Amino acid sequence: MKNYMMYMLTILLLSAQACNEAVVPTETKQDIPIVFPDYAGVTIPASIAPLNFSVQDEFSRIDAVFEGSETGIIHIQNKEAIEIPEKEWKGLLEKNTGGSLKVTVSLKKEKGWIQYAPFSIYISPYPIDYGLVYRLIAPGYEVYSKMGIYQRTLSDFTQTTLIENTILPASCVNCHSFNQNNPKYMNLHIRGEFGATMLSVNGNTELYTTKTEETLSNCVYPYWHPSGKYIAYSVNKTQQGFHEIKNKRIEVVDLASDLVVYDIEKNQLFSSPLLKNDSVFETFPAFSPDGKSLYFCSADYKTLPLEYDQIKYSLCRIDFNPEAGGFGQVVDTLVSASTTNKSVSFPRPSFDGRYLMYTLSDYGNFSIWHKEADLWLVDLQTGTTRELTEVNSNDVESYHNWSSNSRWFVFSSRRLDGLYTRPFIASIDEQGNVSKPFLLPQKKVSHYDNLLQSFNIPEFVTSPVSFDIRTVEKKALKKERTPFEFRKN
Amino acid sequence: MYKPWTKINGWPSILLGLLIFVFYYFYYPYHLHYQEQFQLFLNSSEYLSEQAGKPGGLSEYIAGYFIQFFSYRWYGALTMGVLLGLMSSLIAITALGFGRKKAFELLACIPPVLYWSLFCDENYMLAGLIALLLSLLPLPLYQKIKSYPLRISYLLVMLPALYWFAGGMFMVFGTIVIAWEFLKTEDTTLKKWSVLFISCLLFIGLPFLAKLVVVQYPIERLVSGVTFYRYPQYPVWPVVVIALSTVIIPVLFFFIPDYEKKQRVFAVIFQLAIIISGSGYLISMMVNKEKEEVMTYDYHVRMRNWDKIIEMADKKAPSSSLSVSCLNLALCKKGIMGDRMFHYYQNGLAGLFPSFARDYTIPFIAGEIYYHLGFVNTAQRYAFEAMEALPDYQKSVRAIKRLAETNIINGEYNVARKYLKLLQKTTLYKHWADKTMLYLSDEAKIEADPEWGTLRKYRTKVDFLFSEPEKDMMLGILLQQNPTHRMAFEYLMAYCLLTKDLKHFHSYYPLGKEINYKSIPLHYQEALIYIWGLNHEDPTKNIPYPINDKIKNDVRTYGNIYTSQQNPEPMLRKQFSGTFWYYLHFRKHNKATYEELYDVYADNTSPVSPGV
Repeated sequence: MKNYMMYMLTILLLSAQACNEAVVPTETKQDIPIVFPDYAGVTIPASIAPLNFSVQDEFSRIDAVFEGSETGIIHIQNKEAIEIPEKEWKGLLEKNTGGSLKVTVSLKKEKGWIQYAPFSIYISPYPIDYGLVYRLIAPGYEVYSKMGIYQRTLSDFTQTTLIENTILPASCVNCHSFNQNNPKYMNLHIRGEFGATMLSVNGNTELYTTKTEETLSNCVYPYWHPSGKYIAYSVNKTQQGFHEIKNKRIEVVDLASDLVVYDIEKNQLFSSPLLKNDSVFETFPAFSPDGKSLYFCSADYKTLPLEYDQIKYSLCRIDFNPEAGGFGQVVDTLVSASTTNKSVSFPRPSFDGRYLMYTLSDYGNFSIWHKEADLWLVDLQTGTTRELTEVNSNDVESYHNWSSNSRWFVFSSRRLDGLYTRPFIASIDEQGNVSKPFLLPQKKVSHYDNLLQSFNIPEFVTSPVSFDIRTVEKKALKKERTPFEFRKN
Repeated sequence: MYKPWTKINGWPSILLGLLIFVFYYFYYPYHLHYQEQFQLFLNSSEYLSEQAGKPGGLSEYIAGYFIQFFSYRWYGALTMGVLLGLMSSLIAITALGFGRKKAFELLACIPPVLYWSLFCDENYMLAGLIALLLSLLPLPLYQKIKSYPLRISYLLVMLPALYWFAGGMFMVFGTIVIAWEFLKTEDTTLKKWSVLFISCLLFIGLPFLAKLVVVQYPIERLVSGVTFYRYPQYPVWPVVVIALSTVIIPVLFFFIPDYEKKQRVFAVIFQLAIIISGSGYLISMMVNKEKEEVMTYDYHVRMRNWDKIIEMADKKAPSSSLSVSCLNLALCKKGIMGDRMFHYYQNGLAGLFPSFARDYTIPFIAGEIYYHLGFVNTAQRYAFEAMEALPDYQKSVRAIKRLAETNIINGEYNVARKYLKLLQKTTLYKHWADKTMLYLSDEAKIEADPEWGTLRKYRTKVDFLFSEPEKDMMLGILLQQNPTHRMAFEYLMAYCLLTKDLKHFHSYYPLGKEINYKSIPLHYQEALIYIWGLNHEDPTKNIPYPINDKIKNDVRTYGNIYTSQQNPEPMLRKQFSGTFWYYLHFRKHNKATYEELYDVYADNTSPVSPGV
């Protein structure tokens, strides 16, 4: 019986192999193929899911040989796209970590096989975090359909739903945030009829009302203090406008904004006159990894909506005292809008304290709708700032964040079609060399074509997020909320 | 072989189906066309697995398959006739199992008639009927199985399968099975109670089991499963009543006696009378001709049937703001807006530019106007928002098509390609998408296209933010950039006339000098002579515009009546209701509230996003 099974298995394997046609090229091209997603020359972590791809050309069969610089080879042939078996891929990457793969692609056309010049995929020695958490939402204007927050394992294609607005009808979920990628500390806003802010700390999930008499609005953009004791928020009064010229769609402006910090233990918000100033717009807070500074964006007040394109945010910093829960008396300006005549958004310090990445656009703070928006990097050791030309494109680059070891960063870009935001990942080494970014791989190459939603706020997580959705559902429907208080000085 | 359909009288179902076909084909076709635009049915395995991945999803998928062809009038009517006729037949077959009562076969028509009346409301979804049919289909076989273990096995397989395919409608199958066991089998009481127990356990248990898999839906949604009503959060008691009647009527056949031939005739006549009068009453209660009118106008705008719109309005002038806005667009497209718009009822600005509403109908209609005027981004926004506002989370084939168009006009070819690729996976839009793919990046081809090329010329070259209360300013900007943009000029003039803003009419009027009218449009002549008359004793003398003699005579007559009569309105209505003067003096133009403007669709609102 055992022999019979082995015999059958061999027959099956041989027939599977026999499905692959022998590639005898009738033409050899000097150029590398135009593959989608563009994985030529990218640097990937050894644990990443298979980089399935296709070629933007017409063909009847596609063939790819992945050859490790150290050892190992995978040969795939298919009709439409190269779909690599996960197990073989994982083995090949592990054996060649720190090296590279040579990928030789051949296409079968009417006149026979055409072989392209091989391209390389570099396998970084730096590990990457467990997964990504992002919101999937249509890049719309005011109305939203089905949307939610999802987590994706980076080592395979598994995407699981954390929360969808199907469970809380007519609601919107946004601003998921973790403490230095640790999913045990999670912030999430629910907007709409069942509105609340969910804080999940070490498995304890509570819903809060964050609007107080002293603050402009509900808490908006969050950032966790590394101690896990505080969360910095912006409070924003926001308005949208809609452009009529081609290539521009939406303008989102803050009519007013301030910064506050929430003390989780005391259930208290507090601020500083330097961060709650009527003549200044303050937004996008981010604590430094040592917890002693708060970075944020700040712009001088302008008359709205007339001067919406004159609002330019600087990158600023203020001391923060985690022991006493208070701020310094001076605001430093790291990148001045008056010098650059540009506007900074989303300051994100690397967790090793070396760099700070931000988005730079012509004006305003809602950079996702600014085609000129690009990523920039401040070296906090030298104080120099530079454009990340290695990862920028002609279209939008906007939200970004770091992996827990600060060797990878994920960012959202609209480079594929100009509208639907997609997550790209790039690496940065100790010397500050940045690699060519790669698009988050999907099992089906057509995935991004078919998806009518944007990947919003991609965040790394070091392990799977687990909060009890039923608890959130019950509490949200019952409208059980703990109100935030505001510290009276 | 068991062939129950050969034993029932098929005529009631056939006649009912025919009646429904006639109803939808001749009287209510646009309610079916309307449905087609609110889904994006893709011929792909991914779409099937996505749709069927929740309880009731397969019913929605099958319904979507039928609805994608509802743009064909005959097809939509035929589908409705066949499906409701089939429902009647299945009920009759099920009833036959409980007892052959020839005198009462017509009773099987009652549930489909009830569903037919519900479908007069466009928000009741076809998926509900499909779910009901799926739940009725396995019953005849159950009734034929003699072996108790086989029946139990069948029940244990069918209930979970039906729950997944048909959602809450699976209880129709289960309830009839319970009745069958108690009334028609000679098994022991224990066996009968076992069926009851198993069924009830699954009725309650399956939605809770599903909650373990489909965690992101509230339990109420998992009990109903199928989207019976476009707003899933609303209770669907009328559908529950239909489901109950579908259970009760076949079971009744066990209890009611059959009649002899003579009495049978009376019984049939009596039932016929009740069903006809009852259905007549119900249908007349549920039919909404106002909505059908708006849907008709909107359909013709979508298909660019401008002549048909004007023809319709000539037969019966529209009164709802949405219909009037479609008519005004048609008049403008045909170049007769300035001559004829006041020949029809005008209800102010709402009939020119319906304001944006966060729903899935009004933005489509309003978006058409902006599209043809060259406000390409606004047309794009309205299409996108209409799609996102669909409360059942579907996508819209109409919106996707419009988004492909606006992105081509704007030169955003990559995103246009994305939309076209999706349309290539549909049955009816594939050809259009294939053809349109050839336009991408071909600037000369787009410029030469009579519609897209023109709209490229019309759209603004300078940036400004859309302003709801300043539409006249926005039209002025388009016109300043393109002085031969006739539609922008005529909408600007219409804006002033409808708001009775004669000062701005007078100041904007010279902007049309490059349009080269052969003669000044009649309503503009009426306004110009009226303005002249405000400062001159005889408005017809020395007027610096070429006003035709008829209008000169008319203004004198109108003036005489208006000034000499205490209540001039009835007399003026008779002679001058088609003039700007009559509108100026006797029609309201106040900005109405949302409900007043859009009473037809006032309930179709969606929530607002705090920003993406």
